[in-house]
Amino acid sequence: MRLQLPNGTTREVNGDPRTVAALLTGCDINPLEVIVTKNGRLIPEDATVSGNDEIRVFLVAHGG
Amino acid sequence: MNPVSAGAGERETIPYCDNCDDPAVYFDPRLQRHLCEVHLSQDVERRVIDRLARHGMIHDGDRIAIGLSGGKDSSVLLSILSRVIRERWDAELIAITVDEGIAGYREETIQSAVSLTKRLGISHHIVSFQSLFGTTLDFLLTAHPLRACTACGILRKKALSDAARDISADSIATGHNLSDAAQSVLMNYLRGDFERLLRDSSRREDRGFIRRIKPLLDVHEKEITLYSMVNGITGMLPECPYATTAFRAEVRTLQAGIEYHYPGASLRIIEGQESLSKQAKKTVRPGTVGYCASCGDPCSGHVCQACGLLQNLNK
Ligand SMILES: [Zn+2]
Ligand SMILES: [Zn+2]
Repeated sequence: MRLQLPNGTTREVNGDPRTVAALLTGCDINPLEVIVTKNGRLIPEDATVSGNDEIRVFLVAHGG
Repeated sequence: MNPVSAGAGERETIPYCDNCDDPAVYFDPRLQRHLCEVHLSQDVERRVIDRLARHGMIHDGDRIAIGLSGGKDSSVLLSILSRVIRERWDAELIAITVDEGIAGYREETIQSAVSLTKRLGISHHIVSFQSLFGTTLDFLLTAHPLRACTACGILRKKALSDAARDISADSIATGHNLSDAAQSVLMNYLRGDFERLLRDSSRREDRGFIRRIKPLLDVHEKEITLYSMVNGITGMLPECPYATTAFRAEVRTLQAGIEYHYPGASLRIIEGQESLSKQAKKTVRPGTVGYCASCGDPCSGHVCQACGLLQNLNK
């Protein structure tokens, strides 16, 4: 899977199926502080990601 | 976000909405439920309407000033209020944007505020620190050793209430959300600031303050962000460059961590503060109320916080 983080960096992670929450907490990211898309679509934190999914993580912007 | 319908394989990996057959975009850990774009939006709007009604925040004939920074919270608030008020109340909404003078950040958010008010047909006033106080926040902070968010908060509050008074507003609506409110309670605890902790800002109109309403107080920051994304209200906006240095940033991480491990904790933090404040009111005598010797605003000291701050800078 290709994982794009809020700071703009992209990393390749293995395609074993896991929940978004597990993927995020594995990267020290609190799921409440981000929004995640899989292949361009918004998904909840208990959705499963795997294989060649393109995952993007957006920071919940603070303020205003 | 474009609503793309789920393919057959996706059904197994993306949970359904609890209320319809669409894929969920959000899992609410406190109520253990899944919501799609449409039902998340409806749920957020329902919570706003409930709060407005429960606290009698809006009356027919009201002129409501809304503090519109152009960020996601105030933009979502304006978007929801403009619709809800049209449907239920005979009240007027006027947006006020305060330009603190923060280079590289404000330009974009003000542009976003301008295009949103145009789109919604809401009248919009922009006031600046430069014209009100004769200086920008950027300049203030380079010239004086101030805590950015504290100084900015005091001056922004003054700018907003002065602008609201100029348009004879009956109330000022701001985009504070559930996460913000829980963080503020925690910050007051951690600073040992019990005066601020026990203060009840919603009931101060009798002292000459313009009533402040916070209709998003039952909505988490993440829910507001999702609402903004699925309804196309704001794009990706920059964050305030001063925000990361603040004490609040640390408390935010703390609050998000607690909420994640104990869903509903933020709500309980706020409810605890509310009952504490209610209890305290029975035993604590209200402080003496006077008026600022410099600007005439109601305040508890000789001068208000904003005038005090500005006078100190000129010494
Ligand atoms: Zn639904
Ligand atoms: Zn004053």
